Amino acid sequence: MKIEIRDLRFTYPTGLEALQGVSLVVEPGEQVAIVGQNGAGKTTLVRHFNGLLQAAAGSVLIGEWDPKKYSVAKLASRVGYVFQNPDEQLFSKDVGTEVKFGPRNLGYAKEKIDELVQRALSLTELSDKTETNPYDLSPTWRKMVALASVIAMDTPIVIFDEPTTGQDALNVARIAHVIAELRREGKTVITITHDIDFCAENFERVIAMSKGRILLDGPAREILGQEHILAQTYVDPPQLTRLGKKLGLKETVRNQVEFLEIYKNHRNK
Amino acid sequence: MHERLSYYVKRDSALHRLNPLTKIILALSIVLVSIVSPWYWTAHILLLLVIVPLSFAGRVSREYFTSAIRLILPAAGFIFLMQAFFQPIGNTVIFKYLFLDVTQESLSFAFRISTRIAVMISAFTLFLLTTHPSELMSDLTRRGLPPQFAYVIISTLQILPQMQAKAQTIIAAQRSRGLDTESTFFKRAGSVVPLVGPLVFGSLVEVEERAIAIEARGFTSKSIKTSLHEIPDSLSDKIIRWVLILLVLLSIALKIWLS
Repeated sequence: MKIEIRDLRFTYPTGLEALQGVSLVVEPGEQVAIVGQNGAGKTTLVRHFNGLLQAAAGSVLIGEWDPKKYSVAKLASRVGYVFQNPDEQLFSKDVGTEVKFGPRNLGYAKEKIDELVQRALSLTELSDKTETNPYDLSPTWRKMVALASVIAMDTPIVIFDEPTTGQDALNVARIAHVIAELRREGKTVITITHDIDFCAENFERVIAMSKGRILLDGPAREILGQEHILAQTYVDPPQLTRLGKKLGLKETVRNQVEFLEIYKNHRNK
Repeated sequence: MHERLSYYVKRDSALHRLNPLTKIILALSIVLVSIVSPWYWTAHILLLLVIVPLSFAGRVSREYFTSAIRLILPAAGFIFLMQAFFQPIGNTVIFKYLFLDVTQESLSFAFRISTRIAVMISAFTLFLLTTHPSELMSDLTRRGLPPQFAYVIISTLQILPQMQAKAQTIIAAQRSRGLDTESTFFKRAGSVVPLVGPLVFGSLVEVEERAIAIEARGFTSKSIKTSLHEIPDSLSDKIIRWVLILLVLLSIALKIWLS
């Protein structure tokens, strides 16, 4: 489902101008990472996608829907949103019921709900924990429950707000796997992140925001190479990208595989 | 985004710089003098010639007048009406309404009482406007108030805005999962558990974390603690406090002597 944002502006009641004219098109099935310092407007921007915030000026289109004309509950059938802190949404006595909550709200048929829940649970490796109380799980697993509870809603667009914050390497790998699966299914994934390595390894397109505006928007390879502009929003390129620059590699590298390949060519010359 | 729970207005003024204890004593002595004083006009004089100028000295006159209109005037007005109608004193009837007599005496009594109420609320409004709650508490703790008591007061002021913010996030998270919080009554009634559950769990966890955090900083330690935040208590503070106490004693003496 296509997302089209035109000259979006938003000001909080406190007078803080969080968005100062943001324009953006996300094609169906794209994987986008949004980076930028705290207060850059990342969360404010994505909260317009599912109607939690409403544009003060400019327009938002989710498919052909204008979020202003639909309730958040209705928009939830198009845009799934995983909040940063799982503890702010988990309430059920077991994981299975928790994951079922979203799809049930959307009014799917019983068979479809069961199927979606099974799929979400196996994708997040929670299948053996369906009977467990979410609060008996470790915080990393609670994060997976939150992921599963939104994935089970089967929305064409999924938003993750800081999915890897406070997660161990194993769980970051699990989250990366979930995102790869969603890509395979043709879903749009938009992720807010401060974890630039995670961003480099899993996303094709990167948007850098600063002070309510889009600073850079393009293929990850191009964006991550622009050290000086990224520095404006306090983002450091990934370690390997910086190492590659230091070694004088011609191309911008994003991950180990690229680094080894390009470095080999570089040495052979 | 947080709603303000304390009245405190951060500004720099002579009143703000006074020690919190001095300001409590100031407020208390204004109230006491207005009650104890034998003269009818003391409360009015205090209101016009002490409290109003103090609000200017504290640079909070605008806030003071807003709260005067919103809070003090309605409260004093209500007291005035109640007293004027229901006080069964005096014979000089000014007018009758059903079985209620409004006499000259009851009117003057009502006027006196309602001015006193206005003085009381005003004195403490000024105090709250110019004193930060945590400054007050750390000063009182240093003077021997049990820290547990101070903690209860301060944490209540801090936790409520935090809980409000948390509740907002929970509502946003559950609406994003398709929870209907807007339509029919039955649908909304069903949405209570998903909203209250995380709020209660989260708050319980937070209480525990707070307890551990303050204990890690030696909250119940019996040894004498120093404070990073020094609250000034100057010689003039001490002089003001003694003068105020003397004034209160003087008005009590006057009351006894004149009656």
